[in-house]
Amino acid sequence: MRPGDVLIRAGELASAGEPFALATVVNVRRPASARRGDRAVVTPDGSVYGWVGGSCSEPTVVREALSALAEGESRVVSTEGSCASEGAVEILVEPQLPAPLLAIVGESPAADTLARLAAAIDWRVARGQDERADAVVVATMGRGDEEALAAALAGPAGYVGLVASRRRAEAVAASLRAAGVHEDALARLKSPAGLDLGPIRQEEVAVAILAELVAWRHARTPTEAPSAEAVDPVCGMTVSLAGTETIVHEGTTYAFCGAGCRRRFEADPSRYATVTA
Amino acid sequence: MKDVLGTLERWTAEGRRFATATVVKTERSAPRGPGAVLAVSEQGEVAGSVTGGCVEPAVYDEAQAVLAGGPPRLVSYGIADEEAFEVGLPCGGTVHIFLAMTESDLVEQLGRAIREETPVALAMEIAGSEIGKQELVSLNGHFEPGIDGDTFYLPFAPRPNMYVFGAVDHAAAVARIGTFLGYRVTVCDARARFATRERFPEVDEIVVDWPDEFLRRAPVDERTAICVLTHDHKFDVPLLKVALETPAGYIGAMGARRTTETRNERLLAEGVTEEQLGRIHAPIGLRLGARTPEEVAVAVAAEIVATRRKAAVPA
Repeated sequence: MRPGDVLIRAGELASAGEPFALATVVNVRRPASARRGDRAVVTPDGSVYGWVGGSCSEPTVVREALSALAEGESRVVSTEGSCASEGAVEILVEPQLPAPLLAIVGESPAADTLARLAAAIDWRVARGQDERADAVVVATMGRGDEEALAAALAGPAGYVGLVASRRRAEAVAASLRAAGVHEDALARLKSPAGLDLGPIRQEEVAVAILAELVAWRHARTPTEAPSAEAVDPVCGMTVSLAGTETIVHEGTTYAFCGAGCRRRFEADPSRYATVTA
Repeated sequence: MKDVLGTLERWTAEGRRFATATVVKTERSAPRGPGAVLAVSEQGEVAGSVTGGCVEPAVYDEAQAVLAGGPPRLVSYGIADEEAFEVGLPCGGTVHIFLAMTESDLVEQLGRAIREETPVALAMEIAGSEIGKQELVSLNGHFEPGIDGDTFYLPFAPRPNMYVFGAVDHAAAVARIGTFLGYRVTVCDARARFATRERFPEVDEIVVDWPDEFLRRAPVDERTAICVLTHDHKFDVPLLKVALETPAGYIGAMGARRTTETRNERLLAEGVTEEQLGRIHAPIGLRLGARTPEEVAVAVAAEIVATRRKAAVPA
C-alpha cells in the first residue's frame, strides 16, 4: 500500500455516498507497531483498509469506529491496557457520514423552494420517490399525496412529511389510518411537515421543514444499532462481532481480538469458556 | 402587482384605460395571496391573475362593468373544495377582490419607486366615502399586504437588511440562507484578511470596519435581522449595545451559555437593562441540535421566521 492510498479510498467512499470512519494514529508510546499518522478506513461491515497497528489496536478501532458511525461523533481512542506489550497508541476516529438524502415528491413551487434550500445546506436531494432516502417530503399540492405518502411510509425513510394546510394534513393522516397504514408507520409521518413557526411564504415554509429535519436528524436514535460486541475470553478485550474472529463452542459464540487469542482458546477451550458463560 | 406592472406601464404608454382586480384578503386556502392583480384593458386584454383560473371569468365580467363606468366595488368568491383541486389547491377558501379603475399617473409613480428602491405602499380605499381612491404613501410599518380600516395597503419595500457580524464559517452559511429568505445581506468584520469576496462570494456587501461603528451608521428598521457571530466580547459587547438602540426585528448572538452569561453581565454593567437583554436571542438559533455551520444557519433562519411571524417558539 502506497502512502495516500487510504485517503484515496476514503475519497472514493465519500464520493459514492458510502459511510465510513477514518482512523488516524495521533500518538504513540513505544514499543508499538504503529507510527503517528498511520491511517485506516473502517467500513460499517467492520472491515479495515489501511494500518493503525496490529492485533492489539485493530479490534478496538473497529469497535469504536462502528460506534462512532452510529452516534455520528468523532472520538480519540487509546489502546492502553489492551496490548500485551507495554506500548500504547492513541487513535482519532472520525465518522464520515454522507449528507442525508431528502426525496421531494411533487412538482410545485413549494417543492422547488424546498429543494433549493436543502441543496443550500448541503443535503443531497432527489426529486421524486427514492428508496434510499433518509427523509421524504410530499409536496404534490393535493395530487396523489395519499398514494405518495403511503409509498414513502412503506419504505425505510425515518421522516415522511406532507406539505399542506393543517386541515388538509389532518384529513390525509386520518385517511391513511383508515386505509390501514400501521400506527408504527404513521408515527414517522409529519403532517403538516415543518416546525410550527407561523410561516407564510414558500421560503419560510421550507425553513420550517428543514428545521424540523435537522432536529429530527439529531434526536433520532441511530437507525443502525451499533453492532453486537463481545469480550475476548482470552485477553478480556471488548471486540465488535463485525469483521472479527469468532468460533462457536458448545453452542456459544466466542469472539477474539485476533488469531493469537483464537488459537489459545482452541488449544484449551475449557480454560476460557467459563469466562463469558 | 409587480408581475403585471410591466404590462400596465405599456398600456399606460399606449394610452389605454384599464381596470384592476386586486386580491385584498383570503380565508383558508387561496391560490394567490393579497396583492395579486388581474388587469383588464378597455380593449379586453388581460394581464395577471387573482386565483389561477377558477373565478377569473367572473372577475373579468366585473372588471368590464367597472370599465363601462360602474362603481368600484369589493366582491367575494368562495372556492369550493372540488374547484380548488382543479387549480392545484388542497382545499377551498374565500377570496375578497377589489375592483377599480387604476390611473396612469399611479402606474408611472409606482414603476419609478420600484426601480429606485424607494419604499412605498399603494393605499387603496376599498370602502367608505373615498372608495376607489388609490395613492402611494410611505411604508410606515405596512410591510405585509393587508387591510387597515377602509384601506388596503400593498407594500413595495426594498429587501430587508441582514447584517452578519464576524466573518467566520458560520457567517457564510447564515448569509446564504439569509439570501434565500430574501434579505439583502451584509457581512461585516474588522479583519480585512477574513472579510473577503473569496470567502463570501454570494453576499450583497462586505464591510471591513469595527462592527459597532458600522452598525451605528447602517440603516435599520423593524425588518432588519442582526446576527452577531463575532464570538469575542471585545467586538460583541459594544456591537450589541448599539443593536439594542435600534428597532431591529431580530437580534441574535452566538456563544455558549457561559459566554452568554458573561456577556450579559458586561452589558448590564454598561447600562443595558434586563428588558433590553430580553431582545437578544442567545445562544443564536432554535435549539435543533444543529452541528454543522449549515445546520446552525437553519436554526438561525427558523428563529428569524418564528420571530417575525411571532410564533410561539418551541423551546
